[in-house]
Amino acid sequence: MKTYTIASYQSPLGGPVEIIKQTFTAVKDKPVKRIAFVSGLHGDELEGVFICHRLTEYLRQLKETHSQAFLGEVNVYPAVNPQALGAASRLWPFFSVDMNRQMGNGNGASLAAGFSNALLDDLKSSSDIVVDFHASNLHLKELPQIRIIEEFGKKLIPLASLCNTDLIWVHPTAPVFEATLGYNLNRAKIPTLVVETGICLRIHPDFCDQVFKGMLNLLHNTGILNLPDPPEVKPPLLVNPRQVALIQAEHSGLFVSSIPLGSWVKKGEKLGDIVDAVNGTVMETIVSTADGLLFTLREQPVIYQGAPLARIALKETTQP
Amino acid sequence: MKETILSIPSPLGPTVTLCKNSWQASATPDVTLSIVSGMHGDQLNGLYLNSRLTRFLNDVAEGRETDFKLKGKIQVFPVVNLHAVQSGTRLWSFDDLDLDLAFPGNEKGEVAEQIAQCILTHTADSTHGVILGTGDHLYEDAPHAKMLHADRTTRKMAQSLGLDIVRELAESSTAKLNLLHHWGESSISSLMVSVGKPQTLDRTLCDSLFDGLVNLMVHTEALSTSANKNDKTDVHFFRANGNYCVLSTQAGLFTSEVKAGSFLKEGDKLGELRDIYSGNTLEEYVAPQDGYLVTLRHHPVLYEKEPVAILLTEKKSGFWPF
Repeated sequence: MKTYTIASYQSPLGGPVEIIKQTFTAVKDKPVKRIAFVSGLHGDELEGVFICHRLTEYLRQLKETHSQAFLGEVNVYPAVNPQALGAASRLWPFFSVDMNRQMGNGNGASLAAGFSNALLDDLKSSSDIVVDFHASNLHLKELPQIRIIEEFGKKLIPLASLCNTDLIWVHPTAPVFEATLGYNLNRAKIPTLVVETGICLRIHPDFCDQVFKGMLNLLHNTGILNLPDPPEVKPPLLVNPRQVALIQAEHSGLFVSSIPLGSWVKKGEKLGDIVDAVNGTVMETIVSTADGLLFTLREQPVIYQGAPLARIALKETTQP
Repeated sequence: MKETILSIPSPLGPTVTLCKNSWQASATPDVTLSIVSGMHGDQLNGLYLNSRLTRFLNDVAEGRETDFKLKGKIQVFPVVNLHAVQSGTRLWSFDDLDLDLAFPGNEKGEVAEQIAQCILTHTADSTHGVILGTGDHLYEDAPHAKMLHADRTTRKMAQSLGLDIVRELAESSTAKLNLLHHWGESSISSLMVSVGKPQTLDRTLCDSLFDGLVNLMVHTEALSTSANKNDKTDVHFFRANGNYCVLSTQAGLFTSEVKAGSFLKEGDKLGELRDIYSGNTLEEYVAPQDGYLVTLRHHPVLYEKEPVAILLTEKKSGFWPF
C-alpha cells in the first residue's frame, strides 16, 4: 500500500490538513482498471469511513498474501473532508460550507472550492470507476442503496447491480446535483456510484458489512481483483420515481416510529405516530400508503409539517 | 400592509410565519419591485435597511412623505431565513441548509424548501428584484451591486443605486440554486446589493444606501417623485473576469491595513499575516495591480490558500457605457 497526499493546506495552529489516498497497485504495470473509493465528504457521515476501513484492512492483507489478485489498481480516499470529520459535522466547520456543493467550475477562489476541486481533479486523473459513500443526514435512516441520475442509468445500473445494496433508485436530475462530486465525475464520463446507507453520526456494522461484500463483488466482477472465493450477493430492487412512495408529515410534532427499517409493509399498516408533547395528544397516525419495502425511515423525531417520514419501494418493482 | 404568506407550526414552540409588506398604487400595477433580505441569519444590514424602507413606504402611502407617490407595487420580504435569524447564525442548525441554495424550493418539502418556494411564488410577477446581503461569512464587502445578467435595463437599475461599483457575477454550478438566478430565469431585472460584513449592523453604511434604494424605486417607476432624479453617471462596471483574488500562501493571524472600498495602487499594502505562537510576520500582502478593493477578509484566523482580498481590476472594466 502506498500513501499519497493529494491536497493539503496549512492550519493556523499547526500542521497541515491533508487528503490522503491509499493506493494498491496492480501486479502488472498497466492495470486493467482503476477504481476509487471515497468517503467523508460530509464530516458526520461515518458509515462510508468504516467501509473504507474494512476495504483497506482487507486489501492490505490480500496484498500480503495474494498480491497476484490485483489485476487493477484500487485507490481509497477514506477522509476527504478532514476538519469536518474531526468536528463530526456535515459542513466544513470554519466556513460552514458543504464540500459536496463546491464541485465543478465557477464556484470562486475559496479554500473549500479549491480543495474540493483538487479532489475532483485527482479522481478524474486516476480513476476509471468511482464509488462515493454517503450516509443519510441527521433526520433519516436509509437501507443500503445506490442512487442514480436517469441520464447516467445505462452505464451505472449494471455496475450498481453488483454492489449488494437493497435498492437501486433511478431518479431525475435536479440543479442541486450539478455541484456534487458524483454528478461531475459522471459528466466527465467516469462511472460513479453514489452509495447511501444508514444515518449520519452512527455506524451500522450490518449495513457496512453488506456494502463491503458488495464492493468486493464489484472489484471481482470488474476484473480489478481476481478473488478465488468472491462473496455471494443479493440482487437489488430497481426503482424509478413512480415506484417510490414518499410519506410526509401533515403536522409538526414528534414522530415516533413503530416499525423497523427494512420491513415489508402492507398498505394501511401503521408506521408510527406524530404526537403533541405539550398537550399529550396523538395528532396523526402515520400509515403506509402502499405495499412495499420500507427503505427510508425518520430517525430524528422533531418534525415540521412537510418533513419526510418514510419512503416505500413499491412491491411492483423490477429487478435489473 | 403586512401579510403572512407562509405559516408553519413548530413542533414545540410558536408557529413560524413568513411575512411580507406591500404597497401598491393600483390593482394592476405596471411595475412590481420586490426587495428581499435576511436570506442568511447573520446578514443584519439588509434587515435594517428593509425596516427603514418599510417605515418610509408607510409614510409615502399615508401622505407624510409629500415628495413621493406610489406609482407601481413594492413588496418587501424582511426576513427569509426565519430560524437562522432567530438563532443568530448564518444557517439554521436543524438542517444546515443554505437557504440561498434551496431555490426553486418545494411547496410540499421541508421548511427551507417551503420558504424558498413561497418567496419565488410571491415574487413571480415582479418586474424588478433586489436582494440585500452582506459579504460572505468571514468577509467584508464594500457597498456594491452584483448582477448575473448584465443587460442594459439591469445596469441602469444598478446605476440608480448611486454606488461606485457594479459587478457581473459568473454563472456557476451553485449559482443555479440561488434566488438571483431564478429571478433572472423569469426575466426579472434583478440585483444583489452587498454591504458590510455578517453579524454586524453598520448604520452609516446602511443610511448611505437607503437614499440609493429610494432612488432605485423612482428609477424603476415603482415610486414617482416631485424632486429631481439623481442617477449617478460615473459608475464603474466590472465584468465577471475582472476579479483578482489575493490568496494566502501560509496560515496564521491576518491583520488588514486597508479598508474595503479603497482604490489601491499596485504595491499598496493590504495587510500581513503573523504566526499565532511566535508573533513573527509570516508574509505581507500587497495589491498585485491597481484595483478596487471590493472584498476584504475581516476574520483574522486564516488558513493557507484562502482569499485575503478580492480586487476588481481596471484592466477588464470600464466606465459606464452611455
